[in-house]
Amino acid sequence: MSPLRCFLRTPEAVAGAILLAALIAMALSAALLFPGDPQAIAGPALLPPFQDWSLPLGTDRLGRDVLAELFHGARTSLAVGLAAAAAALAIGSVVGTLAGFAGGLVDEVLMRITDAFQTVPGFLLALAFVSVVGPSLGIVVIAIALGTWPGPARVARAEVLSIRERDYVAGARVIGMHPLAIAFREVLPNALPPVLAMSSVIVAAAILTEAALSFLGLGDPNRVTWGGMIAEGRAVLRTAPFLSIVPGIALVLTVLGVYLAGEGIVETTAVRRGLS
Amino acid sequence: MSGFTISRRQMLASSAMLLASTAMPTFGWAQTPKKGGRLVLAADSEPRNLNPAIVASNGVFFISSKIVETLAEASFDGKDGLAPRLALSWEGAADGLSVTFKLRDGVKWHDGKPFTSADVAFSALQVWKPLQNLGRTVFKDLAAVDTPDDLTAVFKFAKPTPFQLIRNALPALSSVVPKHIYEVGKIEDNPANNAPIGTGPFKFGEYKAGQYYRLTKNTDYWGKDEPYLDEIIYQVLPDRTSAASALEAEEIQLAAFSAVPLADLDRISKVPGLKVISKGYEGLTYQLVVEINHRRKELADLKVRQAIAHAIDKDFVVKTVFLGYAATATGPVPKNDPQFYTADVPTYAFDVAKANALLDEAGYRRGADGNRFSLKLLPAPYFNETKQFGDYLRQALAAIGIDAQLVNNDSAAHIKAVYTDHAFDLAVGPPVFRGDPAISTTILVQSGIPDGVPFSNQGGYKNDALDALIAKASETLDTTARTDLYKEFQKQVAADLPLINVAEWSFISVARDTVGNIANNPRWAVSNWADTYLES
Repeated sequence: MSPLRCFLRTPEAVAGAILLAALIAMALSAALLFPGDPQAIAGPALLPPFQDWSLPLGTDRLGRDVLAELFHGARTSLAVGLAAAAAALAIGSVVGTLAGFAGGLVDEVLMRITDAFQTVPGFLLALAFVSVVGPSLGIVVIAIALGTWPGPARVARAEVLSIRERDYVAGARVIGMHPLAIAFREVLPNALPPVLAMSSVIVAAAILTEAALSFLGLGDPNRVTWGGMIAEGRAVLRTAPFLSIVPGIALVLTVLGVYLAGEGIVETTAVRRGLS
Repeated sequence: MSGFTISRRQMLASSAMLLASTAMPTFGWAQTPKKGGRLVLAADSEPRNLNPAIVASNGVFFISSKIVETLAEASFDGKDGLAPRLALSWEGAADGLSVTFKLRDGVKWHDGKPFTSADVAFSALQVWKPLQNLGRTVFKDLAAVDTPDDLTAVFKFAKPTPFQLIRNALPALSSVVPKHIYEVGKIEDNPANNAPIGTGPFKFGEYKAGQYYRLTKNTDYWGKDEPYLDEIIYQVLPDRTSAASALEAEEIQLAAFSAVPLADLDRISKVPGLKVISKGYEGLTYQLVVEINHRRKELADLKVRQAIAHAIDKDFVVKTVFLGYAATATGPVPKNDPQFYTADVPTYAFDVAKANALLDEAGYRRGADGNRFSLKLLPAPYFNETKQFGDYLRQALAAIGIDAQLVNNDSAAHIKAVYTDHAFDLAVGPPVFRGDPAISTTILVQSGIPDGVPFSNQGGYKNDALDALIAKASETLDTTARTDLYKEFQKQVAADLPLINVAEWSFISVARDTVGNIANNPRWAVSNWADTYLES
């Protein structure tokens, strides 16, 4: 069975893939469909949705187009989610590989640092980091990665511990390869699949963390973010609830889509591995 | 079905009449206040130092003005806009070197000791002049306070000081604290700063952090039959959306200082049993101001500042950001000020084309990306409205080719960034006009102020003519001449734009219909509430 057919057999994976595709389409088309600044004032303030078809989802407190903000917000969410997950996976797998392959004192030191990071709640760490350094998109990405890399690190280390005893690693040692080269050329690529399997959860968590930071006013104020939209809508929750509900729904669907698609991929690869 | 409709209509009609019949006598009673009852209201901040003689700010007054009284309070119909409190009369000497206060007889501190002129002398010399945030400026030339008898205090000034200024400063700056409590130890560390002792209609009860402040009735109060309330509870509700729900659920009876968001007022005004009141804050006008860092060479150019002024649609700001609960500003004195305001100043109509032309003239042409230059914009975080105006200003500047990057900070970081580090190009600030430009307004444009003084000119602006005008006004004793100088001051500020005044706003109270005598003076929310009552 081809992997694609296997993937398409699980309905939740398909649903996830559709949601994710829609999100990516939104993010990519944002600049085409809504050129210019999404925060520009486009109409009367607090226009409810479905009243004026040039502003289908209405406008916010300053008269900004909610639909345009939603599309541009998708970009931010996706960019932050992917970048933070990539950073967390990169840091995590490097640290995990080094710890697992070197063993001894290096392992002890690296894993205690990992423990230290893991004991601090990731969100608090991100909150503290952004409040000290100041909010901008790059800082938010680093802040989220800071709290999420210990997970991948531990998985990578466990995987490396079993791989380093394999024959081909011993072979590589015998032919005189540099230990770092063995670690990153031979061991790491084989340890990656279970680490990558965590990516969907990490991306979903990163999108939520970014939204929470923006909600607390610690996002980049010069970019539209869904969390920031929800926070702004909160002041008028009783009179214009759609301002919080619309980005809220977008956030739920995105996280659900990323998670379901990720699960689908994991299952597909598991089935393939089982078959082979 | 139709029968049901008719009966429902009848029901509505009869219930409306029932409502009307109960409402009628309510209006009749409104003149005779009832005694007793507990007023529960929303408090959105928890000031640690409750001593209004040291921290003269509205957050502190809101609670402590009921406990610690001033010499005089603002009034809608009193002479010079004042009503007597601890002082019965005040008179300035013609040479501007002394002011004589006649004090109220028979006033007792909450611990039973009598209130005398020694307390006034102590407060003025030991607290207002050296320690108070605003008193440091106004009372800087106060040399001595003579106390010929227990009920007379004579303020002696080293340099002529305008009586008009002292008079205008009385409501906010003259909180009298007891000498016998404060004369031992360091004034700043006195425990009474957290549990104030005063002469006011209410005594400090208790404070539970994060929960409430409780004030209890002072049965020995000097006002006849006053106070009417038995107790005042400040329920701490830091979340602005929760105040509205608490009012509707009848958990609180009053939310002052716009604790209910402006966007909710329209809805809440329709809730039966609740009233929205925009009066009672006339003496507490906040100004929405664009602070400018004149160290930036672009902003040091008057044409650029004029262009920014022309790019701001003040009517839009009032209508959208403040939902109509504000007025457009023309200069550094608010329109509602009865003594100093003049409309005869240069104005800047909303005109994007003119703004663009001015920037072209100044030599800042649009680049390939449509931008002329980039600026850092720091909106003050204290109010929703200042943050929203920051969002608006960014868009308004984009329309004239100025790329403004917003920087959000918390309160402490904002004050440090703007007033100490000067790490801003434009900032949005909410200074307060306190009845006289010399109290907290001229400091916004005057030069020579040390770094780190908040709400002062930290933009590096220096204009010798304006400085000379401010200095001259501060030593002019004649009220008319002094007022004219401040009118000239408004003209020069509006012409040279050291900062841009956009709008003036005040606060809104929402209360249950049962709360009486609301908003009966221009500083009602921060006055003593001796005559506030509850019908039940």
